[in-house]
Amino acid sequence: MMLSSILVLLVTNPSAVLAEMLSASASALELCIQLCAVYCVWLGIIELVEASGLGEKLAKLLRPLIKKIFRVESQETQKLIAMNISANMLGLGNASTPMGIKAMQALDDGSGKANFAMIMLIVVNATSIQLLPTTVIGLRASAGSANPADIIFPTLIVTFLTTVLGIVLVFTLDKLLRKKKKGGAT
Amino acid sequence: MSVYILPVLFVTLFVYCTFKKINTYDHFVKGAKGAIKLVVDIFPFIAAILIAVALLRVSGITSFLANLLSPFFNALGIPTELVELVLLRPFTGSGSYGILENIFATYGADSYISRCACVIMGCSETIFYVATVYISQTKVKKLLYAIPVALVCSLVGTILACLICKVM
Repeated sequence: MMLSSILVLLVTNPSAVLAEMLSASASALELCIQLCAVYCVWLGIIELVEASGLGEKLAKLLRPLIKKIFRVESQETQKLIAMNISANMLGLGNASTPMGIKAMQALDDGSGKANFAMIMLIVVNATSIQLLPTTVIGLRASAGSANPADIIFPTLIVTFLTTVLGIVLVFTLDKLLRKKKKGGAT
Repeated sequence: MSVYILPVLFVTLFVYCTFKKINTYDHFVKGAKGAIKLVVDIFPFIAAILIAVALLRVSGITSFLANLLSPFFNALGIPTELVELVLLRPFTGSGSYGILENIFATYGADSYISRCACVIMGCSETIFYVATVYISQTKVKKLLYAIPVALVCSLVGTILACLICKVM
């Protein structure tokens, strides 16, 4: 991806290559500083949720569902996934990231390949069930929309359908791949 | 309405913690401490993906692809005006918010194009960014079918968004 872009620029605009890379790297640093501030607040809040035992309760609520979808037995991991998903639902993408990373670390089996639960977690995050698209509504309101929140229902419907589709696809592909493996072994 | 959600949640949490006799301050600080290390760990991955996206944009590959692919997207019911958003959405969150604001400015916040764009933003994620950051702290090198499945779902979501905004 980087190579092809640089090759094109070599012909069209060679002086832009390094300048663009540096400015992108600078904006990565800027983004990280913003993220650091965001994570500070959310990790602090999450610690409170954990310490007060609310995390446990939330996880208990979502646990049967998570157990079925992710096929994980560890209660600790189930809890991390539950918190990751609930943050996503509230439109707090940035808050869900630290939990997602932690859950991934807990799921890692060291084989170098993503396992079923890890793939599922990425797909569920990618289709992102959003109950409240807060940022989008905010932007739309400031652009002078008459009714900025009227996209909530369409968003809900679409996000629900794509999430279900994602889960079904992961299950199907997992089944197909296992069958193939079995077939290859015998 | 939505402005009240977070403050109310926070108040509930703090009251609950006090009720449970938990030292709010100590626990908050303990959690917040983890943020610096986390950001330091994920910075190189974020930098790499942002550099790649910047090069793609400035080299004109994205707009070239947008032109090239628009007949395909049009056939799926996705208007040409949304192709750039659809192409960049999987890579960059802040970048796609920039495009969204452009769309609002060009077509008006209540137009069909803008509403579609909103729903697309709501039902999709920065797939490559999420995948990079999530696996950055694990030993995983191969994601197998995770990315293709995520992309297919996003595309289906985009098609549905364009359909649903016509009737709702």
